[in-house]
Amino acid sequence: MSPTSGRPAGPPSDLRPALRSGPGRLLVAVYGVFAISASARAGVQIVTSFSVAPLAYLLSALAAAVYVVATVALVRSSERSRRVALVSVTTELVGVLAVGALSVGDPQAFPDETVWSGFGAGYGYVPLVLPVLGLWWLCSQRPRRPV
Amino acid sequence: MEDRRPRLAAVLLPLAVLLGAVSLALAAWSLVGALRAVRPSGGQLLLAAVLEVLILVQAVVAVVLMVVGTPPLSTATFVGYLLTIVLLLPVGVFWGLADRSRWGNGVLAITAVTTAVLVLRLEQIWNR
Repeated sequence: MSPTSGRPAGPPSDLRPALRSGPGRLLVAVYGVFAISASARAGVQIVTSFSVAPLAYLLSALAAAVYVVATVALVRSSERSRRVALVSVTTELVGVLAVGALSVGDPQAFPDETVWSGFGAGYGYVPLVLPVLGLWWLCSQRPRRPV
Repeated sequence: MEDRRPRLAAVLLPLAVLLGAVSLALAAWSLVGALRAVRPSGGQLLLAAVLEVLILVQAVVAVVLMVVGTPPLSTATFVGYLLTIVLLLPVGVFWGLADRSRWGNGVLAITAVTTAVLVLRLEQIWNR
């Protein structure tokens, strides 16, 4: 039984607990904190005062969703979830750069803060650094395929 | 009725300062552990337990104050923060201890720093 002879369908062959151990464990902790805080913030903003800044609040909700997906994908730690995490972390990087630039260049469009405004300045610029670290970690965990 | 709130409320600030100090101490301890590449120690666990007890005391005082006195301006946000701060430390400790390496200490450090930030935010929301 050679392990390279074929990939049995199903999760067991996909399990890569490495994604959530070592530095990954730290990333999960930070992503978890941001998932909770961004979700709570977006929830309160949308429920209490959606009409004040619909764009900013929808972006808050998007950011929250991205953090939740990344956290869950890292915890699941399978090869498929690694790709899901890759997509959500890339979205996060694009989001923080785009919203950051827009909020600095056109403050009128953002009457209220989001997690990503000012490149995450309200959160100690962690939202800017986090996706970079996330991409580094996810790429370093790319499986080596047998030739 | 009205004068009960200030007296009990006078406890909140010293309690918050103590909470902030203990969580920052735990953060520093964990950071040193992470840099020295050791796993979290029993002493850290004890300090985390003390911190959690203090958090629970603060939560009870805050809830009593909200019930007998005037609640903070944004009650929903305040209660949300309160729930988060109560649950965060146990979850963070659980997640950190599962890793028997320096990264467990890293998780503890992040959890403790986040707790300190939450204490500060709670204080700000309360006084708004």
